[in-house]
Amino acid sequence: MIVAFFFLAGMTLVSALCVVVSRNVVHSALFMSGSFLGIAGFFVMLNAPALAAFQVLIYVGAVTVLMLFGIMFTQNPQARRYRTIINRQFWAGLLVAAGVGAFLAYVLSAEDWAGVEAGNGPRQVADLGRDLLGVSPGAEVFTLLFEVVSVLLLVAIVGAIVISRRKSGGGIDRGAEE
Amino acid sequence: MPPQVQQFLDALTATPPLEGYLVVGAFMFAIGAWGALIRRNAVVIFMCVELMINAVNLTLVAFADYLPNAGGLGVSYAVLVIAIAAGEIAVGLAIVLAVFRSRRTVNVDEVTSMKG
Repeated sequence: MIVAFFFLAGMTLVSALCVVVSRNVVHSALFMSGSFLGIAGFFVMLNAPALAAFQVLIYVGAVTVLMLFGIMFTQNPQARRYRTIINRQFWAGLLVAAGVGAFLAYVLSAEDWAGVEAGNGPRQVADLGRDLLGVSPGAEVFTLLFEVVSVLLLVAIVGAIVISRRKSGGGIDRGAEE
Repeated sequence: MPPQVQQFLDALTATPPLEGYLVVGAFMFAIGAWGALIRRNAVVIFMCVELMINAVNLTLVAFADYLPNAGGLGVSYAVLVIAIAAGEIAVGLAIVLAVFRSRRTVNVDEVTSMKG
């Protein structure tokens, strides 16, 4: 288990770092899917195999493809120099991010985690389903949250269509005329 | 089998502690925050936001598996977080497309006014 943990941790963190420093946007998207695959492996180790399946389907499948579509629609001639893809806050941003990461890691590992042990997760998919629908005791709030999220997804779909729709102009791209 | 080898094999198959998952989540969040701060391309900034969301999901699921009183509900919260992140990415990419259509750029430094 420790071997799998270190393998997945290395895969996740190195891929995440490559997303940030990769000069090619398409490479960033592919590294992002690698990072998400590492997270899916962590979910399997944490007794949530159904969530790992969701992760692979939604993130590695759908979100990465959506990102690639976004890249292909907005691709300008590729700028490959770091000065053009990274703004002037490189070192300041690194300082802030390293500070945040070190602080979070210190606080989370300085806490006394005695008495916790693995194996409390809903390993059975049926348990996860009962939790999500608010049937199991202590999870009643999920009845409401589940419905709210379904409405929110509908709103997001309608909003995405309305925002990205071309304005009525005989099918001519208005941006090209201006 | 000598006891050292047996010890080594035991260490290899031990369950990782909770702190391991939390520290990986913290560093992944920091990397995502760094990318969101320094990159200029709006699509890459979205990717970095997704990295941060995934780091928080990992922390939630780790707590749900390790804390005895959590009842495993962190996994359900993670499902909701994934749904909300999917909605966010759909609307966000639509906005990026609309901005690109009127400005011919996705560079966030050059998009300074809301009216196109």
